[in-house]
Amino acid sequence: MMQKIEKALAIVLGTLLALMVLDVTWQILTRFLPMQPSSYTEEVARYLLVWIGVLGGAYAYRKRSHLGIDLLSNALHGAKRRALQIFVVLVCFAFAASAMVYGGTKLMLLTFELEQYSAALNLPIGFVYSVLPLSGLLICLFSVDHLIELVTTKEELPTEFDSDVHPYTDGLEEESTSVQKEKQKQPEAAVEA
Amino acid sequence: MEVAVLVLLVSFLILLALNVPISISIGAATVLTMLCTIDFDPAMITMAQRMASGIDSFALLAIPFFIFSGMLMGSGGIARRIIDFAKVLVGMLPGGLAFVNIISCTLFGSISGSAVAATSAIGGFMIPSMTKAGYDKNFNTAVTVASSTTGLLIPPSNILIVFSLASGGVSIAALFIAGYLPGLLLALGLMIVCGLWAKAKGYPVGEKPTLKEAVEKTLDAVPSLFLIFIVIGGIISGFFTATEASAIAVLYSLLLSCVVYKEVKFTQLPALLTKSVETTAIVMFLIAASSAMSWIMSYQNIPQTISQALITLSDNPLLILLTINLILLAVGAFMDMTPAVLIFTPIFLPVVTELGMSPLQFGIVMILNLCIGLCTPPVGSVLFVGASISKTSITALIRPLMPMYLMMFAVLALVTLVPAISEFLPRALGLIE
Amino acid sequence: GFQEDQVALKLAHTLDQQHSVHRAMVFMGERLRELSGDSMRIDIYSGGQLGSERELIELLQIGSLAMTKVSASPMEGFVPEMKVFNLPYVFRDSEHFWNVLQSPIGKDLLVACERARLRGLGYLDAGSRSFYMNDIGVQTPADLNGQKIRVQNSQTAIKMVNTLGGAATPVSWGELYTALQQGVVNGAENNPPSFYLSKHYEVSKYYTLDEHTYVPDLLLISTEVWGKLEPQQQAWLQQAVDEAVVYQRKLWQESTEESLAAVKAAGVEVIYPDKQPFIDAVKPLHDSYKGTEVGDLLAEIKAIN
Ligand code: NA
Ligand code: NA
Repeated sequence: MMQKIEKALAIVLGTLLALMVLDVTWQILTRFLPMQPSSYTEEVARYLLVWIGVLGGAYAYRKRSHLGIDLLSNALHGAKRRALQIFVVLVCFAFAASAMVYGGTKLMLLTFELEQYSAALNLPIGFVYSVLPLSGLLICLFSVDHLIELVTTKEELPTEFDSDVHPYTDGLEEESTSVQKEKQKQPEAAVEA
Repeated sequence: MEVAVLVLLVSFLILLALNVPISISIGAATVLTMLCTIDFDPAMITMAQRMASGIDSFALLAIPFFIFSGMLMGSGGIARRIIDFAKVLVGMLPGGLAFVNIISCTLFGSISGSAVAATSAIGGFMIPSMTKAGYDKNFNTAVTVASSTTGLLIPPSNILIVFSLASGGVSIAALFIAGYLPGLLLALGLMIVCGLWAKAKGYPVGEKPTLKEAVEKTLDAVPSLFLIFIVIGGIISGFFTATEASAIAVLYSLLLSCVVYKEVKFTQLPALLTKSVETTAIVMFLIAASSAMSWIMSYQNIPQTISQALITLSDNPLLILLTINLILLAVGAFMDMTPAVLIFTPIFLPVVTELGMSPLQFGIVMILNLCIGLCTPPVGSVLFVGASISKTSITALIRPLMPMYLMMFAVLALVTLVPAISEFLPRALGLIE
Repeated sequence: GFQEDQVALKLAHTLDQQHSVHRAMVFMGERLRELSGDSMRIDIYSGGQLGSERELIELLQIGSLAMTKVSASPMEGFVPEMKVFNLPYVFRDSEHFWNVLQSPIGKDLLVACERARLRGLGYLDAGSRSFYMNDIGVQTPADLNGQKIRVQNSQTAIKMVNTLGGAATPVSWGELYTALQQGVVNGAENNPPSFYLSKHYEVSKYYTLDEHTYVPDLLLISTEVWGKLEPQQQAWLQQAVDEAVVYQRKLWQESTEESLAAVKAAGVEVIYPDKQPFIDAVKPLHDSYKGTEVGDLLAEIKAIN
């Protein structure tokens, strides 16, 4: 089930990125083709980015690829490490539940109720904000799944969120099928830059 | 106010130390600080609003696009052709392969926006071939690590886009042009270090390419290098904005790797898209959370308080600049670039502008500072990538990195003290007054 | 020193501290302190540090911000009737504009904000918007033909420029200077102080004062915050607002004159065109609103002297 959600997320997010490329390309083209420059592509691109950033946050959480500082957790072992790992998952759950699910739902309902519309597309802003509760729910779901794993697994699990970046050569190696305990860091995961 | 500063700082540091992801540490610390003065419901709704609106920005679009195009360049044969071209240029000099490495990283940096992409794309090939030619493996890795940070100063650069956002709108086009000279200066400085080191160690001289080879390799690299002209030329001549240039970079890299070089199959594209989007999400989620944090900091007047304290610290501007540089270096040692820029720009920018430094120059100084941090333990993503590519340990890299750190400090000092290094080009092109 | 029991109202806007609006807000804060005998104050956050105008309006609805100054333009998304301000040539001149704002129509539009949990406290002067171009001095609408003109991201603004024959191109305000310079757009439109303060006059050397739109600024307070104030406090605040409005109009006039003088000194050709051809050109746009709420409003406004 979790694997299916993860797979679906990957497909949705990849599609959104591809759409964003097409959208901006179209925006440039319309300025050079004999037609009115497009007036909605900028807004579409911005809202796609909000969706990618927030929904992708849940995906990256599932893949354990968010950056973290692991000096302390690497030094701990046994029950202490497990306690720390459980604490981390609980913090993530609490944040997602309060700010994203609760706050996000209220925000979405507020903008629907007060009928706020976007400038170019005249789209209800609530649709843009709906990604917050959606992504928050997914993070909560992934946290619970992770918590079950932490409580039921006998052996020690690796640190959750490290600052490490694993090597990549061509970025094309097939998604490893091993369970997500086997950490697969993304190429540029730490960058940003 | 003092309570708010304390809550923000203490909860953030504790969560960070306990291995909570940086983005969620930032978010949770922000929520706790909001609850000091705002009721529960409005606090949660405001938090949600700040996260979404923090990434509701057209300028930020360039980040996923440059990440995606960087990924295409690494897998599509663009990186390899750049190395071949650099060999033609400097391969025959003493310590030539080290120069090739630096030039390749700089050229790669001038078409991609990410240092980790440069380290992995160039280092993946250059480190083993230098080792085979008789260079010390740790030295090779150190060269790659240090010189791939030039790509963060030389445009396009994702981190300069993040700075533009955090600074409240310093022009991205001006920042991009401002990064050229400091980036090239850094590359030049590193070449001097390598020349001296190679001479001391008696490293071999590369073969001089035949004219035919030289011409072939150069011609082969032209389409890849043409990306520089498309991206930068397109921005300067007004065909598209800095943000739109990133989409053009994606299209051009797609064209090269899938159609011209045929080194990426169309069936591989979905996997590349997914990988790009995951990296993008890490960065965007951080920006979303940081944007909420900088909101609550403004709301509580925290930046003003800190900058006031810094200014009253001393009346010597140089001492204050030195303090800021040292703080940033310390921050860079522990923290990744994006959160560091997002958190510290609003705090330090008012101080340095008070001292008469332009926001443009400060952007370059700050990024250069944090570039050094990318190459230092305990947390340095570029260092980690370099070490894992060459399968060596972080500690073994520190010795060959030492002279390079020194050179980076020297460049940093120059860029801090001489505004013209950052401001000359943008002024000459009329991007700033 | 701040008193512990002082009522502090947080006000955020997106303009810098030299702007007439900011100076009027500071004045308003001082007046409120005096009127209330130091029992009320306003904390001002300038320069968009708490968010864009759309986001600030939303923060008022959420209840984490008390007051804001926003343009009527982003209000379109919250109160559709506000669209009328973004239509060209609704007002004959500045006098007509202010007569309308002070008439029941203007008051009703402020009241309409209550639906969106916002209370309109008053209108501030943001002058009239006119075209500035890099290379051509616009004398008639025909000169705009095929020119790429930056507009704010608003359907009404886009329609206006397209109706006049230009090619409306939404570009964010932050990217506009370089977009003008590099020719991504050939021109833009704004009021004289913004044209001057944004330094766009360094690139755009022709300023045609066709005064197509009068878009007022609105001073808003969250209805929730307003409801928590005692009637006496509400009265003090409203009085401080009313005084600040008068003060800001005076500052705005000065700043408009200074800005026009400064851009002329910098070599900008300021053109005073015949407005009638522009007015005729947008008639189809006005007609397209017939039978709608905005169309009715338009007719009422035209009937006012
Ligand atoms: Na670069
Ligand atoms: Na570091």
